[in-house]
Amino acid sequence: MTSETPVNPLRAGMRLHRAPDACAAVVFGATGDLTARKLMPALYNLARERLLPGGFSVVGFARRDWTDEQFRAVMKEAVAKFSREPLQEELWDSFARGLHYVSSTFNDPAGYARLGERLNAQDDAHGSAGNRLFYLATPPDAYATIAQNLGAAQLAQPRPGSWTRLVVEKPYGRDLPSARKLDAAIGEVFRERYIYRIDHYLGKETVQNIMVFRFGNGIFEPVWNRRYVDSVQVSVGETVGVEGRGGYYEESGGLRDMVQNHLMQVLALVAMEPVASFGGDAVRDEKAKVFHAIKPIDDIDRDTVRAQYVAGAILGEMVPGYREEEGVAPDSRTETYTALRLEVENWRWSGVPFYLRVGKRLPKRATEVAITFKTAPLQLFRQMGGDNPTPNLLVLRIQPDEGISLRFGAKVPGTRSDVRPVNMDFRYGSSFGVDPPEAYERLLLDAMLGDSTLFTRWDGVEASWELLTPVLDAWADGASPLKQYEAGSWGPDAARELMERDGREWHRM
Amino acid sequence: MASNVTPIERLDDRPIGISPAAIEAEFTRLWRETAEPGVDDSSVRLRTMNFVAVGPETWTVERFERVMESLPQRHPCRGVLAVTSPDRTKLEASISALCWRTTTGGRHVCSEEVVLKAGPNDQLALASSVLALLVTELPLNVWVVGPIDLESHLASELIDSAEIVFVDTADATDITVTLQSVLSARRKHDVAVCDLAWRRLAGWRALVAQFFDGQAGVERLSDLQSIEITGGAGISSEMLLLAGWFISCLGLSLAEAERDASSISATLYDRSRGVTVKLSGSGEPAARVTEIKVRAAGGEFVVQSHAESAHMHVREEWPDRFDHRTVDQVATDDASVFAEALDDASDLPIFLDAARGALSLLLASSQLS
Repeated sequence: MTSETPVNPLRAGMRLHRAPDACAAVVFGATGDLTARKLMPALYNLARERLLPGGFSVVGFARRDWTDEQFRAVMKEAVAKFSREPLQEELWDSFARGLHYVSSTFNDPAGYARLGERLNAQDDAHGSAGNRLFYLATPPDAYATIAQNLGAAQLAQPRPGSWTRLVVEKPYGRDLPSARKLDAAIGEVFRERYIYRIDHYLGKETVQNIMVFRFGNGIFEPVWNRRYVDSVQVSVGETVGVEGRGGYYEESGGLRDMVQNHLMQVLALVAMEPVASFGGDAVRDEKAKVFHAIKPIDDIDRDTVRAQYVAGAILGEMVPGYREEEGVAPDSRTETYTALRLEVENWRWSGVPFYLRVGKRLPKRATEVAITFKTAPLQLFRQMGGDNPTPNLLVLRIQPDEGISLRFGAKVPGTRSDVRPVNMDFRYGSSFGVDPPEAYERLLLDAMLGDSTLFTRWDGVEASWELLTPVLDAWADGASPLKQYEAGSWGPDAARELMERDGREWHRM
Repeated sequence: MASNVTPIERLDDRPIGISPAAIEAEFTRLWRETAEPGVDDSSVRLRTMNFVAVGPETWTVERFERVMESLPQRHPCRGVLAVTSPDRTKLEASISALCWRTTTGGRHVCSEEVVLKAGPNDQLALASSVLALLVTELPLNVWVVGPIDLESHLASELIDSAEIVFVDTADATDITVTLQSVLSARRKHDVAVCDLAWRRLAGWRALVAQFFDGQAGVERLSDLQSIEITGGAGISSEMLLLAGWFISCLGLSLAEAERDASSISATLYDRSRGVTVKLSGSGEPAARVTEIKVRAAGGEFVVQSHAESAHMHVREEWPDRFDHRTVDQVATDDASVFAEALDDASDLPIFLDAARGALSLLLASSQLS
């Protein structure tokens, strides 16, 4: 649809070569936390920065019996609290004129009929021409119901010359069978090309910079393979516990909550082949190839670690153990720490292990990719009485303190040939000094533009579940028994042992 | 300019010897001092470009200093200001470190600034000093401040090595001569030229372009009837560049034009269909654009802003509906304009086309009126 849109000659040379068509965004779950914290601030900032089209409007859809005015008032409060830029009254008033609300449960056909009437009225008032962006900011168990009700109410089918798109939040299923069931239900109503599955990690500037770093520079790609890379680590450390979301976390755990989506996406960006262009499905095609090339984990006891934190100290303060958190069962078996050893079996990466780890209540909040290179083929400086050089290490820091560092050996001044590791360090904060847009701003704009590059495609989601569902099943059967680690530590001994078996160690974040 | 860092603090500003070696030695001393334990053990000197401003001392110093108060946070640089004044009898130099603390990581980051002030007889010495002070491996961006003289000894020496030459056609005393000079420099030196006046129009252009987005929008272009651009006193370069942008992007050909002290009216043709263009000064003191009104396909689209307002107002009127909204004004201070232009230079060819369009309108209206 978007590729058929004729070119506006006045856009030549502008940063935004295309602008979204006038459209209405329908937010299901409009009274929820995600809408307040992320979606509405993102839309407000897009409007503020002149990136939304004229004729843009929002319809909130949720069960609470609110009026348009109540919806606007609550959203105003949310934007004032959570927007990265302060709320400006005049801009808010202008933006809020386009906010509307429909009260309904998600399974009431009458609610969808009212939504249709409201959208038609929006088209007349704002010229949005039947373009609709449906956003599912609801609990996942409502996804299929909403999609099917949209279909039944004839709202999913675009009018001639217009478009409808569906944005779905994670989690997309809780294992392979449930993901397939969900996809089948949504697929009855929306074709794959109109489904935009959000993984907000892909909207982060530093995650997108992995592609820029690899494919926008000439010097890294030639060494980005099994000949030069020893191993890759993708790590996410959080200092927080479950933050009042014990009930949710009990149902997910670290593997479902982080590994299946965020870490696998980062892994794919690190491992994928170069693309010929960023158009269409090129990036998603290459990522899917990576997912399909990952070798199934045949020894789950050896190559996976799961653990749960017990009471300890974080940042100088005592914190309770996971089982003492609100909403968590006292005999919970949910993992708060996960480590995996994966292998990407293709020409580029065969034999290079990819280690993934994610943990709550670790000493530091950090997300990073650490790429360890092989040492020089000849240990020349050891022979000359110098130190054995430590391997080159490239660290892509995704958050916080976003940046890139490269460790290499340098001669210590003096008459001996001593070698000491030193770092070249790039920091976004120092070099650019601007607040990057929130991930949701980029992703919402891309969804309105019809650019699905930064959204996950079903074949990638399915392949990821195909890899990890056997792990979940084996864990349920008692494989790789649940370990414990003290809050404030770097995880269980088993994670260290997983690396030691390969003669390696985790990079200290 | 949105930023996650503390304001810039000027650490040193003292007169020093004028030779490049002496200046580099002073910087070395300054960095050693800031790195002493107890003073600040985490200072980082950061430079990603050479940023050189040249011009007459009266025009240039204050404007350059204002830019250096925030530009280094987005584009850390070695800033060199080279100015001349008829009152000076010798070359003088001073250096400063411009430091700020990032909120992420809390590091103390510093850029550096050299100011060289010369008299009328010091042109050669000034040029040689500036060239010697450029950091070799970094790109050079040159700002020719004030009335545009791209053929002075210093400017032409620098332009040949520059990535981008910045000018501000709003400073022009004669817009026709200035636009001709800019286009000629582009041809002669094969260098990218960026006009700050053009970049200040970015918000206007983006909003006007929205009216012609999508299938329906592009169809409107074939039924474009009129364009009215209103600004402050007289006809400014910004108004002319906007008109030139329409002319070049839409491939309009000029049929007739007339001009008086505060307006230009023209009829242009898109194949056989006439489009009227009117530029008028509203009498407001600031020479900035205040309104663009476009009529097409039975609708009217208006963008308005005022010098004192931080916002822009957009109004769309159709026989059956009316829509209006308010958005943020694009920051038009020099530092923000530089920062944006250095981030994204993809519209430089569009500027040249717009300048040609503006020039054709100016020349036609002068000849015909």
